Amino acid sequence: MRDDELIAEVAAGDSSALRALFDRHSPWVAGRLRRAMPAEGVEDVLQETFIAVWRGARGHRGEGEVGAWIWGIARRQAAVRARKAGRVDLTPGPVSEQSSEDIAPGAVRRADLHKAFASLGPDGHEQRELARLVFEEDRTVAEVAQRLGIPEGTVKSRVFKVRQRLQAVLRQGGY
Amino acid sequence: MAVIEVTAARNVEVQGLSQKFGRTEVLHGLDLEVGQGVFGLLGPNGAGKTTLLRTLATILRPGRGSVRLLGFDVTHAGEKRALRRRLGYLPQSLGYYPNFTVFEFIEYFALLKEMPSREVRPAVVRAIERVGLEEKAKSKLRTLSGGMLRRVGIAQAIVNEPDLLLLDEPTAGLDPEQRVGFRRLLREMGASGTVIVSTHLVEDVGAACTEVALMERGGILFRGAPDDLVARGEGSEVGDSPLERGYSSVLAAARV
Amino acid sequence: MRNHPRDEAHVARCADCQARWGLAALDVDLDRVWSGVAAEAWASPVGRVERLAGRLLGSPGLARALVNTPSLVLSWILASALVLGIGVMVTRQTEQPWVALLAPALAGIAISYAYGPGVDPAWELSQTMAVSDRQVLLVRVFAVFGLNMVLGLVASLGAAQAVGITLGWLAPMAMVSALALAAATTAKSANVGVAIGLAGWAIAVLASGRGTEDAAAAVSRPALVPVYLAFALAGVGLTLWSMSGSRSTGGVTWR
Repeated sequence: MRDDELIAEVAAGDSSALRALFDRHSPWVAGRLRRAMPAEGVEDVLQETFIAVWRGARGHRGEGEVGAWIWGIARRQAAVRARKAGRVDLTPGPVSEQSSEDIAPGAVRRADLHKAFASLGPDGHEQRELARLVFEEDRTVAEVAQRLGIPEGTVKSRVFKVRQRLQAVLRQGGY
Repeated sequence: MAVIEVTAARNVEVQGLSQKFGRTEVLHGLDLEVGQGVFGLLGPNGAGKTTLLRTLATILRPGRGSVRLLGFDVTHAGEKRALRRRLGYLPQSLGYYPNFTVFEFIEYFALLKEMPSREVRPAVVRAIERVGLEEKAKSKLRTLSGGMLRRVGIAQAIVNEPDLLLLDEPTAGLDPEQRVGFRRLLREMGASGTVIVSTHLVEDVGAACTEVALMERGGILFRGAPDDLVARGEGSEVGDSPLERGYSSVLAAARV
Repeated sequence: MRNHPRDEAHVARCADCQARWGLAALDVDLDRVWSGVAAEAWASPVGRVERLAGRLLGSPGLARALVNTPSLVLSWILASALVLGIGVMVTRQTEQPWVALLAPALAGIAISYAYGPGVDPAWELSQTMAVSDRQVLLVRVFAVFGLNMVLGLVASLGAAQAVGITLGWLAPMAMVSALALAAATTAKSANVGVAIGLAGWAIAVLASGRGTEDAAAAVSRPALVPVYLAFALAGVGLTLWSMSGSRSTGGVTWR
């Protein structure tokens, strides 16, 4: 479903639509927040953000992209949190201020990431290949889909699963 | 130096348990030790399965004999309370509060199990997701079907991640697909604790249990792996499946 | 990404950029976050009374058990107050001690519907909880009795009768409540509790008034107080015995 349809359902009280929005947007919002605060802080801000989405879905009123709206809430929540801790707000602003090289893992070193990739399977194994194409070679979803001969939707959901696996491995390794 | 062998205490240690109601003895000197895994309890009506489960659930005091669960002595008040925090129970017929929502019902019992306050709500969320009732989380119980109510019952039993989970005929009212999901849940719970399931459906037993016991008239007739029960049924013609044949064989031999 | 625009609006709708950003937060536990969000969406708010009770009792579970007592819901309390209010008016009109006679009866009914297998559909499950049924019994009965006592006192003062009658219903109230509770718990039925409680009270009133034809005798004779209290203790004892877990639960059938 499209984001604006989901938001309308959330406004009507459907929590499974909220879940869909969460699955779609929380990873990247978390990623951008992670640039400015530790993982625990990201978790707190994310939780407050999506609770605000649940409560304020009616306030969206179809004004612009849902993703941008959610990011706006997240930024505000992060600022509130920073102010409470007496810190200056360091959350990233509009993306234009960032170069693509900045889009690197926050607390995760490249070497650790490579080890995590290795845990996905031997060279050529599908998940590892997918991770390599998306995260190392910078391919677009369309390119990956064509390369692996699978539909784009499947690529997106597999990226989600790969991400979860990498996360589990990194957590186990104490990173 | 002598090596001292220490046998770790098992989760369920029952010795010589007897239960009487009025003048009828319902359980006779029952001995049972169960460790981690999924343990199935089979037997005809009146065999004493529910009485055994109620005793393990600390509803009934042991008439004679000793019952130690998770290392706790059930006759000692303080230990019983600590034990109950680690317990999960689903009775054969669970009443419900019609005006409670699914979330409220599970949360209520999480609170009564004295779960730490901060953990209660996330645990209720996880329990609801594990039984697949996310869509109904805010619905009042009186609007749910029988199968859904059963799942609510299962959710309250597992909400505190119990080390000892006792289920009395849990799959009643679940359709085959739901039973598959339920067996998966049983295996998950059995991986980290003890699950004791009393059931009429022999196939549930075969698919999910690491061990089974067959009860009749207050005693245990058979105990072993499902395959062993199947082996007992070799050559028998009573029963539509290998497990059923084993079941009938054991019962027939005992009744001779 | 190489050729992608850099603005917020783009990231917000580009799956590729989102996938890239997702990698930047692999150590964030999204499952835990979702649990917190869902809890907010699905949970019902906790009332002020329950929160206060939780703090006073030191147990949120016990507080919730208290708040869910059937005979402590607002409608019940208002109904009791109404009946007593009518009793006050009648007492002032007729000089008959209606309030003193009503108060124990109302308490008996309220206690029957406060606790036990007759009232709690999830009774069997309740007996396996860390917050024990004995604790719940204590708290609920105390609260219901206390509330009925306060209502009775207020009504009594309103009825402006002799001091002996204004307080004379306290011991009878204890007896009727205890008998009703014992009956309800033993018979696993709130209605049986009501029946026994009211019957016991009726017998007490008729027996003590006989000969003098004094309806107030049941509540105004101090000599009766030890009798009432003795019956009350017996009722309490019977309740505790029937809860003790040596009996089968859920009816006659056992498996």
